[in-house]
Amino acid sequence: MRRRDFVKGILAASAAAKAMSAQQAAAPGAQATPPAASPAMPPQGPVAPGPMPWNRGLLEAPQLGLRTLVPDAVAETNAHFFNQTQTATLRRLCALLMPPLKGFPGALDTGTPEFLDFLIGASPRRQQLMYKSGLDWLDTEAKAKFAMTFENTTDTQADALIRPWLRIWMTDHAPTELHAAFINQVHSDIRTATMNSQEWSDAQLAAGKWRDGYDLYWYPVDPNLHDEPNAVLGRPAMPVAPAPHA
Amino acid sequence: MSEETVDVLIIGSGHSGGMVAKILTEKGINCLMLNAGPVADPHKDAEVKPTYALPFRGFKQPGILPHVFQANEFNANTWVDEKEVPYTCDAEHPYNWVRVRLFGGRSLFWSRQSFRLSDYEFKGKTHDGYGDDWPISLKDLGPYYARVEEIFRVTGNQDGLPQYPDGNFIPDDSPWSTSMQRFAAAGKAKGVPVCKARSAQGVDGLASSVNLLLPDAVKTGKLKAIPNVVVRELSVDKNTGLVNEAHFVDRLSKREMSVKARVVVLAAGTLESTRLLLNSKLANSSGVMGHYLIDQVYGPGMVCSVPDARDRKGTREIMGGSGIIPRFRNIETKEKNFLRGYALNIYSNMGGVSPHYFAAYGAELQQKLDSYYGSTLSAGIMGEVLARYENHVSIDKVAVDAWDIPALRIQTKYTDNEFNMARDAVDAATAIAEGAGFEVLVKNYEPNPPGYSIHELGTCRMGDDPKTSVLNKWNQSHDIKNLFVVDGSSFVSAGWQNPTMTILSLAMRAAEHLAEQMRQGNV
Repeated sequence: MRRRDFVKGILAASAAAKAMSAQQAAAPGAQATPPAASPAMPPQGPVAPGPMPWNRGLLEAPQLGLRTLVPDAVAETNAHFFNQTQTATLRRLCALLMPPLKGFPGALDTGTPEFLDFLIGASPRRQQLMYKSGLDWLDTEAKAKFAMTFENTTDTQADALIRPWLRIWMTDHAPTELHAAFINQVHSDIRTATMNSQEWSDAQLAAGKWRDGYDLYWYPVDPNLHDEPNAVLGRPAMPVAPAPHA
Repeated sequence: MSEETVDVLIIGSGHSGGMVAKILTEKGINCLMLNAGPVADPHKDAEVKPTYALPFRGFKQPGILPHVFQANEFNANTWVDEKEVPYTCDAEHPYNWVRVRLFGGRSLFWSRQSFRLSDYEFKGKTHDGYGDDWPISLKDLGPYYARVEEIFRVTGNQDGLPQYPDGNFIPDDSPWSTSMQRFAAAGKAKGVPVCKARSAQGVDGLASSVNLLLPDAVKTGKLKAIPNVVVRELSVDKNTGLVNEAHFVDRLSKREMSVKARVVVLAAGTLESTRLLLNSKLANSSGVMGHYLIDQVYGPGMVCSVPDARDRKGTREIMGGSGIIPRFRNIETKEKNFLRGYALNIYSNMGGVSPHYFAAYGAELQQKLDSYYGSTLSAGIMGEVLARYENHVSIDKVAVDAWDIPALRIQTKYTDNEFNMARDAVDAATAIAEGAGFEVLVKNYEPNPPGYSIHELGTCRMGDDPKTSVLNKWNQSHDIKNLFVVDGSSFVSAGWQNPTMTILSLAMRAAEHLAEQMRQGNV
């Protein structure tokens, strides 16, 4: 078949080009000038500047053996999404809902308020609104009922504000009532962020318990070269896809 | 431009595509398989990590995969990105289209529940007057089920229930824990059967196209495959009316290419196969393509606690194991407020309990979590969704995917039949649990959005009448005889059963029919 003959020709030319390239690399000071083009040989691609191929030796390098850390092990999150009052309310909620217990760290010990500031700051607007309005509502309630900020409530006072909204629910079916939605979501998020921290994992180890939370993490598999939809090569441009439910 | 024409072009590499490739290549037929995504290598593409080392501490990256409830931060990169391959639906009627485009498709990740449909599904209309019968019966598909069950190494018991057909199973001799025995006894007292589940063991637990089907095809030397190519449309020979070419785009470079084929088999998954045909404007003389989208109700259920397993007394003798309540409604009797039926998965759990089951926090919650640890038993519905013409998909007028291929618009919703069925299921499970002396902790009557079950079916239904169906009983297009659709889109009704065994059996049957037709020169 004509195509197969052509492919054979290309392969032969490619092998010849490789052999020639190897000869040039072996000759010190050899010029990286491409040979004159011929019908049987495709033009060479651009070569890196300098006398050495850039990737030389990488595959032969020994494993580094470096023990890497997660940033939380040594650094704190710069929280900036919630305002000062909201942050104080969230910290109070963390202390109340997930205190340190039986040798396990509490939410404040694991940087949970700061992590949630980051997480909610990166979340869709609806989630952000639920959090901000929920934190504001709690503070307003505390002022109305106890004449103090939520940050300064006693455990008994805070419980009086929170407990009426606690619900039981099954996965994927969180409460949807306005305040119950927030209280149960923030409770769940505080627990998750705390129990998924390295401090919690270390505490499990120290207690001689199985360190759970390990699983198979999938990296992106052959990720697309373009994150955004764009016109396919050789086709006329079309409107960009709106998000589902637009 | 290649001059080659492949014998059979298979689009999709999941269970159905893998089965067709295996059958055809073993009969000496050359096949080319196209897959929209890459080949995944867990040794290269995945790594065991602690949750705390993930970028979002185990929370799914905000804003991604809003319709994939099954996604988490560990597996998020295995699902189809909804921005890359969007679809649209009405905001008040969301649909969870859960997709995998890795080579092997969703066969890489599934629950392994392995059931046959019964004639209560194949001949549903005959039984209760609703909808349409399939053009085949259990008797037609039985021999294929048996072969598929052998390949997939399905374990189970012979229960002798017509609505839960027996099969070619590896006997399940494992004893039930006393919690399961008590639940089963309470069910029996109410006339509700509780049986052993049926599950594909596969090899090393994997029951996928990539380890049970495609290796056999590869062994023949008759299968070639191209990953990372997204098929845009099919075209037909204007003289013969036969499909003869597939036009695809390279997923990474976006280069447009075409390949000629004598036969095309669509195995891209129910909605992707239908989307491709709708975009190609082919095989729809009936006008029903895209209609009768069905799935199964998931989400409603209940969780209870076994009192004598509390406070860390839940030994393996008391707790652990699973079972299933196969459909028991509308078999001998007739329910007042819903047609068809549901099954319930039952799990006796030796592990931790969700904090969501208690209206408590802090030390009080921890005390409950400690006390109830290893004592829960759950029941979750798998309910039949009725096939309705108005539940349908079409091509969206605006939205396109990352390769400018028009996206799908999905318009479907549940009705009182599904809601009433869900309520009945939760109440029935609750009554059995209470009858067993268990404490019910939580109940949920609300179904997850349609699509959640990942059992989307229909939209290219099979039938004897070309005016009311897209495919004939061999999964072959009524309009274009060298076009086959072998995934779940051929289903006429959904039943409550995980459809995988039925999809595989239909694909095997269709492939053998196709091979014979090719041998006779009819295709």
